[in-house]
Amino acid sequence: MRQVISVSLNGRAYQLEDDAHAALAEYLDRAARALAGNPDQTEILADLEQAIADKLERCLNPHKTVIVRGEVEQVIREMGPVDSGAASGTVHAGAPADAAAGDSGPAGAAAGAAPQTGTAGSKRLYQISDGALISGVCKGIAVYMDIDVPLVRLLFVIAAVLSGGLAALLYVAMMFIVPYANTPEEYAAARGLPFNARVLVEQAKLKAAHLADVAAQAAMHNHSPEARAQWKAEWRKARAEWRQEWRRSRAHWRAYRWAGVPPSPIPPTPQPPLPPLAHVISGLIWAALGLVAVLVTVVWLLALFSLITTGAVFDWMPFHLPLWAAIIALVLIYQAVVWPLRAVRHGLMPRFYGYAYPWHSFWDGLLGVCLFIFVVWYFTHHGHDLRQSFGSLQESLRPAWQQLVGAWQTLVQGAH
Amino acid sequence: MGEDPKLGALRKGFLEFLVLRIISGSTVYAADILKKLDGTDFATQEGTLYPLLSRLRREGLLDYQWQESEAGPPRKYYRLTAAGQRQLAEFDAYWARLNQTIDSMGT
Repeated sequence: MRQVISVSLNGRAYQLEDDAHAALAEYLDRAARALAGNPDQTEILADLEQAIADKLERCLNPHKTVIVRGEVEQVIREMGPVDSGAASGTVHAGAPADAAAGDSGPAGAAAGAAPQTGTAGSKRLYQISDGALISGVCKGIAVYMDIDVPLVRLLFVIAAVLSGGLAALLYVAMMFIVPYANTPEEYAAARGLPFNARVLVEQAKLKAAHLADVAAQAAMHNHSPEARAQWKAEWRKARAEWRQEWRRSRAHWRAYRWAGVPPSPIPPTPQPPLPPLAHVISGLIWAALGLVAVLVTVVWLLALFSLITTGAVFDWMPFHLPLWAAIIALVLIYQAVVWPLRAVRHGLMPRFYGYAYPWHSFWDGLLGVCLFIFVVWYFTHHGHDLRQSFGSLQESLRPAWQQLVGAWQTLVQGAH
Repeated sequence: MGEDPKLGALRKGFLEFLVLRIISGSTVYAADILKKLDGTDFATQEGTLYPLLSRLRREGLLDYQWQESEAGPPRKYYRLTAAGQRQLAEFDAYWARLNQTIDSMGT
């Protein structure tokens, strides 16, 4: 049985046997060193990774999903040694240095030199079971469209009731059609982010090497109970660190979506954790703001609905705008209201991510579930007369609107 | 390989010229260039070509744009810039002169 390592080459995932991975990592590290000082190093490495990926693709078919060492060596022979890219006169200086550098241990150097390659990955729709209520379809759509999950769920339920269950059928169909995001590469693709697994793989290798050291020491000490206990403790510590690293890099992708922080550097070790109460409060504010955003969206959708069906926003139309201009104005107003909400909400995150994320997620999920239950309850009890009540809702809102309109008009007249 | 290293050095200098020539014909992507060179004395590998292309781009002789491909991810398609066209014309003129000189030196 052989160990298989997943790598990402310029945004696509490949499974390599461990020695095939070592050969490829060595080649790419040598390439990175040969190109050290070249201003286009990252770009050339991305091009090389892409070319390697194209060649590896040939070795794969539905019945063979793992790359072996011989194939990697063949591809490397086809690729040829990487030139420094300097003007032709100085090319030869690089070659012997290359060969010498290749002899020094590749694994140790790999962690430092692991290049952050990868251009923006392509976005794909996945189901995301992490934080899902049923199957993760809504979560996947929310991540794909970069909107809040409760909103997608709400829309789905409303659509299901109004369409007489058709949307529910659609959900079931998507459960079977849309693939699950399982690997980190797929999680990254769901958000349209590039992800380079090599960094994580190299970290794992370093930790494994460290553990092997400790194990060797333990063997020297004739398996004394203390040594074994120490080994176990080390192992547990490494595993915890590894998990934490994993969580942090995942939170990092999310932060990228929200704050625009590029995903290249793994964030520095976070500050000491806040007291639990601060977690809870920041998580609650975060979730509450999310709820407000959802409510604003619902009101906006109702306004849009009434604008399109009656030609006026709840029977009110300033300046007698044409319909298209009114819709654009409505969209702009919506953005103006929701943008600061989202900004505050997401501004809360980067400070805490890694530590407080579980709390944010917890409150968000809880509020989402409450909202979901409420909507289901509401529609099952009042679904049949909803269509009539929609008309009377407008009636009941009209006095309030007329007051607002009156205030607006006196304001405008006062200004003249 | 195992040939005369002097000829190898000569080839390396000409490769840039040839790449510019290939790109001047039509917009091409890297694999097209390799295919064209394959089987000639100038057969080249990715490890040499990509750094060369990136240097030529830095020098402003060529640029590229991303284009969707029917299979796989988008590809970089290269084409010559105005400066690249001028450089190629200079190369061509120089090559003609060089040929003449070499011929005239012969016995």
